[in-house]
Amino acid sequence: MIGKSNRTGRRAFLKGGGLVAAGGALSSIGALMPAGKPEVRERKHTLWIRSVDRPTLSETTPNYTRFSGRNMFALYPELKAQHDGEGSLEAEQKSAEKRSAQEMNERKPGFTLADRQLGSGAWTLMHNTKPGVGLLSWTRISVRTPTELGTQRHSAPPEEMANLVKSAARLYGAGLVGISPMKEAYVNLKQPGDDPHEPAKDVVFAEVDVPAVTETQHVIPKKMKWVVTIAIPMDIDLLSRTPTTLGEAATALGYSRSVFVVASLAEFIRGLGYEAIPMVNDTAQSVPFAMEAGIGELSRLNKLVTPEFGPAVRLCKVFTDMPMACDKPIDFGVVDFCKHCKKCAEACPSHALSFDDEPSFKTVGVWNNPGHKAWFEDSYKCLQYWQKSGTSCAVCLTSCPYTKGDQAWIHEGVKAVASIAPAVDPILKTMDDAFGYGKERAPEEWWTKDGSSGRRG
Amino acid sequence: MSESAESFTITIRKRPWWGWTVAGLWLLAELLFVQTAVGSMREGEGRAAMISWIVAAVLLAAGLVAWLRPQRTHKQANAQS
Repeated sequence: MIGKSNRTGRRAFLKGGGLVAAGGALSSIGALMPAGKPEVRERKHTLWIRSVDRPTLSETTPNYTRFSGRNMFALYPELKAQHDGEGSLEAEQKSAEKRSAQEMNERKPGFTLADRQLGSGAWTLMHNTKPGVGLLSWTRISVRTPTELGTQRHSAPPEEMANLVKSAARLYGAGLVGISPMKEAYVNLKQPGDDPHEPAKDVVFAEVDVPAVTETQHVIPKKMKWVVTIAIPMDIDLLSRTPTTLGEAATALGYSRSVFVVASLAEFIRGLGYEAIPMVNDTAQSVPFAMEAGIGELSRLNKLVTPEFGPAVRLCKVFTDMPMACDKPIDFGVVDFCKHCKKCAEACPSHALSFDDEPSFKTVGVWNNPGHKAWFEDSYKCLQYWQKSGTSCAVCLTSCPYTKGDQAWIHEGVKAVASIAPAVDPILKTMDDAFGYGKERAPEEWWTKDGSSGRRG
Repeated sequence: MSESAESFTITIRKRPWWGWTVAGLWLLAELLFVQTAVGSMREGEGRAAMISWIVAAVLLAAGLVAWLRPQRTHKQANAQS
């Protein structure tokens, strides 16, 4: 005979189990349904993403100064002359173009005309603007000011102002948004132009009311004390087709979306009665600002890794004088994980990434800003591979175990375990390999695949 | 189940509390692997999906065998000892 108390216990247990099963089944059905609206993620206050006072890997030495800002493309011919003693960027580009034409004629998968032009279309916004001009103008483009609208500029407590800006940024397409205080040390000393032979402009801070772009200078008002840093997620499935011209479209789209988001956000802020400077990779170092704003941590890639999208993001930012509450840096165990993983360094076709166990102050070349701790990369080798392959690669981004789709729940759990229990990091890396993550996908399949597969961003 | 000329006697045996706990954990693990398999398919991660389906299938089979296997009655146990 079954006692009453036992019967009740079992019934309650079964009821609970039934609820769990029903919940799980509903969620599974949800996972089977096609993806709906574009993804916008609010950072949840999870146990595994800890707020910290200082970003991880933020140690600096007294020789940490503002970076010259000379970009790699401008530096390349000079570096090549130093390194190889001959050749030039122009000559290499010409040879790459010849090879590219041949690949298109042969319809090589990932390098066909359609593959190439997919990226060309995606570059449209980014390639038709430049720092301080057009959509990236440092002054108002077309928005009407509060005065023109017969009202006063918007004013509210800093937390509310921060929420306004974050909500607007997410609407425009930001995947992650964070706010940090201005740090002049992260702002470049120079702003190079399009022409590598043209002298770079000085980036200066001055006691002025509005930002300005002159013939020789980019002037940032000292009253701009806040930086909004934004991460734009890249399409992981498309990115996984790298290193091909098809896969490059994911990078291109990330940049063009960045232009749209920062341009829109800057106009929004100006419309509230404040000044705003939108920027993508130009003018300042995006990674340290993103670290300060709690968007992610510095990794072995010497790039930012976010908890949500891994390193598969493009960073952009807006400087403003609008007072806002700032976010705190985060720690979710990336540095410890990178010490054991090294998957990106193994996957890098140009062997440009460090295999060192520990990050250090040891830089590799003039493209690295000295005085801070990192796993410094060999950008010369990296860019040389770009020239050789005719693509902008991105294999390091796709091979990172933090770069995952958002359909399988287990990813979140694994990232949490890596954050809470670093001792199991080597096992997690082995599992990542065993499950076949981070492998290049066949480019020719992209055009015919189911549109919902693994799409993010 | 025992049988006499006129009736059947059905014995419903109580499973211990830990039996139900293990069953609950098994159900959760099963759901996790099925979800991982479905999610991985949607992510285009073929190998991860295949491994997850295999783990889910093995887990399902093991769970069913453990749940349904005939258990010894007290009489059988006493007779053996």
